[in-house]
Amino acid sequence: MTDEGGTSAVATQPLLEFRSISKSFGGVRALEGVSICLRAGEVVGLVGDNGAGKSTLVKIMAGNLAPDSGEFLFEGTPVTLREPADAGALGIQTVYQDLALCDNLDAVQNLFLGRELKGSWLSGGRVRRAESEMRARDVLRKLRLDKLSLTRSVGQMSGGQRQNIAIARAILWNPRVILLDEPTAALSLSTALKVGELIRTLADQGHGVLVISHDIHNFVMTVTDRIEVLRLGRNVASYVSKEANPEQIVNAMVGGKEGVNSSR
Amino acid sequence: MTASTNELPTDATSHEGPETVPGLDRKDRILALLAGDLRALPIAAGLIVLGLFFASQSAPFLTSRNLSNLIVQSVVTGIIALGLIFVLLLGEIDLSVAATSGATAVFMAKLVVDQGLSVWLAVGGGVLAGLLIGAVVGFWITRFDVPSFVVTLGAGLILGGVQLLLLPATGRYNLLGTGVDKIADTYIVGVGSWLVWLVAVASLAALRYSSYRRKLTHGLASSLVRDVLLPVAMLGVLTAVLVWVLNGYRGIPMPVIVFAVLLSVAGFFVTETAFGVHLYAVGGSGEAALRAGINVPRVKITSFALAGALAAIAGIIAASRILGVSVSSGGGVGGGTLLLDSIAAAVIGGVSLFGGRGRVSGALLGALIIGTVSNGLNLMGVDTQVKYIVTGSLLVLAVTLDCYIQRQTSTGGR
Repeated sequence: MTDEGGTSAVATQPLLEFRSISKSFGGVRALEGVSICLRAGEVVGLVGDNGAGKSTLVKIMAGNLAPDSGEFLFEGTPVTLREPADAGALGIQTVYQDLALCDNLDAVQNLFLGRELKGSWLSGGRVRRAESEMRARDVLRKLRLDKLSLTRSVGQMSGGQRQNIAIARAILWNPRVILLDEPTAALSLSTALKVGELIRTLADQGHGVLVISHDIHNFVMTVTDRIEVLRLGRNVASYVSKEANPEQIVNAMVGGKEGVNSSR
Repeated sequence: MTASTNELPTDATSHEGPETVPGLDRKDRILALLAGDLRALPIAAGLIVLGLFFASQSAPFLTSRNLSNLIVQSVVTGIIALGLIFVLLLGEIDLSVAATSGATAVFMAKLVVDQGLSVWLAVGGGVLAGLLIGAVVGFWITRFDVPSFVVTLGAGLILGGVQLLLLPATGRYNLLGTGVDKIADTYIVGVGSWLVWLVAVASLAALRYSSYRRKLTHGLASSLVRDVLLPVAMLGVLTAVLVWVLNGYRGIPMPVIVFAVLLSVAGFFVTETAFGVHLYAVGGSGEAALRAGINVPRVKITSFALAGALAAIAGIIAASRILGVSVSSGGGVGGGTLLLDSIAAAVIGGVSLFGGRGRVSGALLGALIIGTVSNGLNLMGVDTQVKYIVTGSLLVLAVTLDCYIQRQTSTGGR
């Protein structure tokens, strides 16, 4: 299912495409005719200063917000998302900045939260715990996270481990598209690099990954294939990561001359 | 650290690798255990200490007759506390449970005495009324997004008024000879009592064994001794002692069987079903639960409804025990000490007021502690004033411990 397009690098048909999407909140225009596309097997970095509209964009993709105008295509077909479950049904999973984990539950319970594997009514609707644990273990193995404990409460884990659990939760349902909102904001440099490797692994396995990040130098440049820059709700620039340099990107983010290098 | 891992299950040792959280030292681990798996340990120890103390102070304390009495006395508090646990796990509170138990018991009595309904229909009506009251309260809290503290405080007062309205001019319905009195006065003795015991132990064994089998078929680590035999043997021995003690008086009282069944069913739902996971999820992080697609309002309304229904069952048992209902049913207007005792039982039983932490067994342990203190002090001839002071102090201690664990564990892993 995920290896559609075979090994021929990046498929031509975008998995997900926005065509001049606009969204306003009262008088504030958060997005004005933003276009963006994401193909299977690639990592696209979405960057921009505060208020550029990155989070609004991700919320629309995740089905949390409805756009005012513009087209949302999934595998070339226009779609309308009314609620997050619609995005999930299409195969779009979101990892939020705050991770949205329940600290008092263990890893398995968090992975399956809201989508528990239930037994038949004969069993009293008992959660199929053993099967859940096995599937959780498989996903973690696929992400090379075998060391994570399945049975410890998530609140006792480190920031990196929690980030990994949140990503594993998105992967569990074998999504086509994964949206990551600031996955490294709360992490140390070395942990952030590990999360970066994990994101590359996901793309290599055929997922399309869109990642929001402020960490241009260490993270975005090394992890992404392409970079889209938003400023004040508009597309201002896009780069192929290998061919870009951080100064260019930061410049595009802040809108030209002022504060080129130090504006992070 | 290494010393303790030796006794831990195999799957626990696998995460002792390089990914172990820095700064999670011995004290934090003990606190984490106290917040989780071993939460019942200090409570059970406290219960034993209390028991030993009262046994040394008063000879009749350890008699079968007194212990039977003590347990039946604890059942009403325990069932209300059990219902409260659903609400407390969500991080909410229900201050109307005692009033619900009073009003529904009076309603049930009215159906029997004034309307001439059969006992079982009237009991069903009472429980249904409790369920509806809880559902309405839960609906109000979620629909209008108002604090449960205030809504249930008001609901308690309203129900107190309803209770007075339902009562006849004499202020009392006598239930002696109506059949309702039989509920609390039915005992199961001899072979029957051991059959009940066998069913209970076999149920747990079946549940545990099926989990164990499934783990094995899915290639997960599980130990027959640790996961099946040990818990079943522990429950078996404890309940065997209980049955033996109760048989020394008149047998297993029906209220005790009702409580045991309710505890088991509630325990199953809380620990084994998706609804149970959602209770903890909503109490742990409402926002995360919402984004995971959990229908949070439905979970809340269901919990308040269950609390109401359980309160009604408790109220009916109380009415049956004291052979009538009156102004003082359900602890009197506002819930009185019955409300405080039930909240205290849940909290002493290790259920957190912050939500997301606690077990169903807490209702049993907490109610037994409250019941033991009350019964023991009575036997010692201590005045009511002192009883209040002791119970209140226990509550303050338990809440303080809860807050301490909450603070320590919630800063542990971030």
